[in-house]
Amino acid sequence: MALDQAKPTSRYLEAWGIGKSFKGTRVMSDLNFRVDRGELVSLLGPSGCGKSTLLRIIAGLLEGDEGSVVLGGRNITRFPAHKRNVSVVFQNYALFPHLTVAENVAFGLRARGVAKRATGAPVAEALSLVRMSEFADRPTAALSGGQQQRVAVARALVVGPDLLLLDEPFSALDRKLRETMQVELKSLLLDRGITAIFVTHDQEEAMGVSDRIAVMNAGRIEQFADPSTLYARPATPFVMDFVGLSTRIVGTVTSRDGEVITAETPFGLLKARSAAPAGARVLLGVRPELIEVGAGENTISSTLADVMVLGAKTVLHGTAEGEDRVLCELSGIRSGFARGQEITLGWKIEDTLAYEVPA
Amino acid sequence: MSGRIDRVALLAVPGLAYLAVIYALPLLMLLAKSIQTAEGISFSEYRAFFADDYNIRVLLRTLRVAALTTLLALIFAYPTAFVMSRAKGPWLTVFLVAMVLPMSLGVVVKAFAWSILFRANGFINSSLQWIGLTEKPVRMLFTETALVVGAANVFLPFMVLPIYAVVRQMDRALPEAAASLGAGPFFRFFNVTLPLTLPGVVAGSAFTFSMAISMYVIPSLIVGERQQTLSMLIARSFLYLRNEPLGSTISAVLLGIAIFVVVFSSWLARRLGARS
Ligand SMILES: Nc1ncnc2c1ncn2[C@@H]1O[C@H](COP(=O)(O)OP(=O)(O)O)[C@@H](O)[C@H]1O
Ligand SMILES: [Mg+2]
Repeated sequence: MALDQAKPTSRYLEAWGIGKSFKGTRVMSDLNFRVDRGELVSLLGPSGCGKSTLLRIIAGLLEGDEGSVVLGGRNITRFPAHKRNVSVVFQNYALFPHLTVAENVAFGLRARGVAKRATGAPVAEALSLVRMSEFADRPTAALSGGQQQRVAVARALVVGPDLLLLDEPFSALDRKLRETMQVELKSLLLDRGITAIFVTHDQEEAMGVSDRIAVMNAGRIEQFADPSTLYARPATPFVMDFVGLSTRIVGTVTSRDGEVITAETPFGLLKARSAAPAGARVLLGVRPELIEVGAGENTISSTLADVMVLGAKTVLHGTAEGEDRVLCELSGIRSGFARGQEITLGWKIEDTLAYEVPA
Repeated sequence: MSGRIDRVALLAVPGLAYLAVIYALPLLMLLAKSIQTAEGISFSEYRAFFADDYNIRVLLRTLRVAALTTLLALIFAYPTAFVMSRAKGPWLTVFLVAMVLPMSLGVVVKAFAWSILFRANGFINSSLQWIGLTEKPVRMLFTETALVVGAANVFLPFMVLPIYAVVRQMDRALPEAAASLGAGPFFRFFNVTLPLTLPGVVAGSAFTFSMAISMYVIPSLIVGERQQTLSMLIARSFLYLRNEPLGSTISAVLLGIAIFVVVFSSWLARRLGARS
């Protein structure tokens, strides 16, 4: 049970056919989700899309209406939370206010019947792991947000969980601390080979901490992939918009040549790889850093509406007729651009994302 | 802090003056009476009171009835407070009205209602006979059990409301966190829920106990003169025996117990509060 037992207890999780309604309102149906042993996975999606609901069903804090949860080959669907060996780090940390830091960390061990005397060593070790040793005897109310989170993590890990669930663990921290904690926590989990699921609505956070990301929307998983695939090849317009910025251009397919379509858009004719038939409405997207100044396989001319020199990058906002905007990011500091200037922008066909959309 | 008078504090002056005149002054006069005897200032009344076995029996009965009333009220109030904390919208209103309305009914009405329920041909006895549990009516009205049951009912809101206030404030994630850490229902209750709601339990118990040791109307109506309580002794001393020193002495004893309960419970609440 102690942390130092190098433990391959983390196993593999499967949730399938999960459905849930609240008072007749369906918030999740037939959701399938699978995590490999030792993986760090994020559930990413806007507020209210069902991330916490899925997490709570996996933790056993909420009963799904349909579906099964299997952890390490055991079907735990009907297990109460306390029999699952799944630890949860809550958004507000949920530290016990009537207990000291050390007592909080010891809680899970005590609940498992470990004698008070025997909790000393593992608790001390867990606290040193999160660099909170000197706070052992403090009440939790006196701790800062970051410190409370460290205690919550120590408390969740000391019991040697088969799975660690974290519901928006960084959302209450300020930006700088959040980044530090992300790095710390990630290396802690990777070092110990712990399987963990993070819930977040922050795209950068998800990409930073996880091996794979499940993008959720309205109770469904839209795409489950590693961060680079998610960014480069988003499966749906929702994923494209949720994971990173992009220029969106709506057009109509006029012709196709093999796998490449040509679409009529407010910026002129543009090409993309797509299965959309002629006459279909398509949404084209391009990531801003893939757009170059100068002609390319796809070329548009645009008036610069804004130029922002941000240091690491220079961002150009271009407009064309209508309301469509084009966003171009150039690395480093670039000079020679001014508002109102006419420029030519270009990008490759293979960098053009295309989705058939309802007319 | 400078030596300036806090102007907000001045707002408390009328209230304090009122308390001083209406409350503290008569009490002090009462206390004075208990130590003023023919031979001057003396505690002889107290010695006489505690020397009498009958008085000791009444004192012990009063404490026992108050303790049992508090315990019974707690047993009913604790789960009720949890149900109430989960109630929403109209249900919460129903609960709160159910708690507060009987308070405004007045003790006399309620105690009478109870005596109707408990008497020989009352509802409980007829029901018991109808079910066939008893042949003859069971004597309930003039028993201590009836007193405890009736008193617990009357004081129930004073136990429920402080516990309800604490339960409502409790973070729902805490029992969930406990469960996810492997704590079963019992461990969760005794190590999380109970300690966190204990301040409410202490406050409610202090209210109920202080009211139960000084209750007069309820025992008068439910057990009558047969089983005296301290308050009934006090009333008898003043009203029938016209023995003011005796009445004052018993009042002082009662006051002493009440003060002890208040001080002890606020100490306990502070200690519990300091940990959370
Ligand atoms: N206890 C509940 N009662 C009713 N509706 C709920 C409850 N919990 C969640 N919901 C609803 O289910 C949906 C998903 O909620 P949740 O899983 O908390 O979203 P997320 O964590 O992604 O923000 C939301 O529409 C929310 O309003
Ligand atoms: Mg949530």
